[in-house]
Amino acid sequence: MTTRLREMLHDTAAQVPAYQVEQRALATARRTRRRRATAVAAALVLVVFGGFVLPVTGTPPVDPAGSAGPGALPDRIGLPPLGSLHATDRPRTGPASVIFTGEAGRLTYDDECSLVTVVDGDTDTYRIVRSGWEMTAGTDVVLSPQGRWIAHDPQRGDPRVEIIDLVTGATRQLRSDVPGTVGTEPAGWSPDGESLVVRDSVPTHPDRSDHRRLLSLVRLNDGSSVRLAEAPSGTVPGVVVAFAPDGDRLAWQTGRVVTVARRDGSVIASFPLAPGTDLAGKGAWTPDGRWLSVARRDETGWTLRRIEPATGRDLGALGTAGVDDVVGIQLLGWTATGVPWVVSYLPHPPDSPDFTRPFPNDDRPEYGLIGSIEVLSLPPDGQPPTTLLTAPRQVVSIDIAEEVIRAGHTRVADPPRGVGGRFWIWTTVIVLAVSAIAAYRRREQLTLWWENRRVRRSGVAW
Amino acid sequence: MSQTFHEFVVHRSPALSRTAYLLTGDHQLAEDLLQSALARTYRHWRRIRDGDPEAYVRRAMYHQQVSWWRRRRFTERLEADPAPGRASHPDPSDATTLRMTLAAALRQLTPRQRAVVVLRFYEDLTEAQVAAALGCSVGTVKRHGHDALVRLRAVAPELVDRAPQRSAR
Repeated sequence: MTTRLREMLHDTAAQVPAYQVEQRALATARRTRRRRATAVAAALVLVVFGGFVLPVTGTPPVDPAGSAGPGALPDRIGLPPLGSLHATDRPRTGPASVIFTGEAGRLTYDDECSLVTVVDGDTDTYRIVRSGWEMTAGTDVVLSPQGRWIAHDPQRGDPRVEIIDLVTGATRQLRSDVPGTVGTEPAGWSPDGESLVVRDSVPTHPDRSDHRRLLSLVRLNDGSSVRLAEAPSGTVPGVVVAFAPDGDRLAWQTGRVVTVARRDGSVIASFPLAPGTDLAGKGAWTPDGRWLSVARRDETGWTLRRIEPATGRDLGALGTAGVDDVVGIQLLGWTATGVPWVVSYLPHPPDSPDFTRPFPNDDRPEYGLIGSIEVLSLPPDGQPPTTLLTAPRQVVSIDIAEEVIRAGHTRVADPPRGVGGRFWIWTTVIVLAVSAIAAYRRREQLTLWWENRRVRRSGVAW
Repeated sequence: MSQTFHEFVVHRSPALSRTAYLLTGDHQLAEDLLQSALARTYRHWRRIRDGDPEAYVRRAMYHQQVSWWRRRRFTERLEADPAPGRASHPDPSDATTLRMTLAAALRQLTPRQRAVVVLRFYEDLTEAQVAAALGCSVGTVKRHGHDALVRLRAVAPELVDRAPQRSAR
């Protein structure tokens, strides 16, 4: 039945000349190779640029916040978006107003390591910093008074402090000169931002079952350090460190003892605290530098009192209202008009506060009891506290730049939502990579499509 | 000893050109098809030169022919060409007329049907070999072959059945 068809096919084929297409085929093949190589190179450039160059640190040609003011305190903070940019990523934010840490999912990674959230001084731009373990803002990750630098311990087991410059994105590794130290963490900044108080842990047994702790003041310009204190096993020196406004003196609490010293390490005074009181916080010095503040817990809440820095003698209450029904308070600083700003730690769970347990020396306040925080303004005339900042649950620590406090400005905030910049960067990279792989696997079809398109555009008659 | 790409093209271009023409029914398209297939072959010449490069070229032509963008081009062409079944019946004794009839009838087939016809009745491949060349199942080859013959019989019975009387019988 198909014999005729076979004959006609062969008969028709016999009339077909041999097409002279060799040179055109070679040209097509070479052109395809060039295009493929170009496409591969372009994809690689995109991947490299998108995935690695954009987030990398470097010094921008222009200081993005060189002329910015001290910033303002946001009236609320939120959890950082998933995939937030890091503090060293471009674009830089400039000096921060606030840093905070917590236990929420987006504030931790690897179960026990903290993502420190950095809030820009004037906007609701958030950045994050990966710390080497669980961190509490204001205690072992500290924001400089100007809001420009963050000091933290970036890696467990590596005795160094990393200082991040939020303006340039540059990082500086500050290594301790304490012999045998196995851990170095920051404790507080001097008012000029040129010195940093650090704590070192030196094992006293080969198996590192016990440590002695040292407190030092490190000058950042030349790296020299001054030993301030050494504490025996089980006691943390400088769990609270407070510089006087002039920066010449500082006070710190070790156990139940407060020590006042000069920057050269010479001790001015050392005295025990009254029961139920603690050095109030990094803003413990009154604005005139004459007195120290302590926080005292009574039956319902916490009040601020003044003590004499030379003797520790109680000088009476500050005259501010008490803060009730909270786990604890820390005095962060004073406005230019003399109003103290404190962070209050809300209990967790909210309906069963436990105010009777004393704080362990190395955990003040005890963060396991904290459900959230608020920043309060305590008017000196005894008026009720004014809530300046609220935070979502599981935010348990906060540090505020002292210049922001001194300026006393707050702003209405709208914390970022959705996903952050790194999410989009990596999504783009992954999409490009998958597209490149798909294009490579289907390269023959793409080549044919391209050739077909070229032929059509060349005007082949139909 | 391995032959060069140039030697291969010189020796095999006539046969490949014939297949390309039967697949496309148009000299311009056939040149285009062969050129693309040879370009693809050249890019992989090192790998295939010691095997069966001609089979590689043919497979490349078949696949390109049945790929979607070429189907679209043929669809456009089908819409532009008058159906031979509606034209006047040619004289079967005239070989030239028969070739024209064949060309017009093949244009009524889909590219895959056409490829099956060429592979089965010009290359004389078995259905299994056709399936391997086109990358489909034997059942698919059978279906396309059957559909192609049905259509050819409808539009140009003189190509499939030599005498109308035999068909009537």
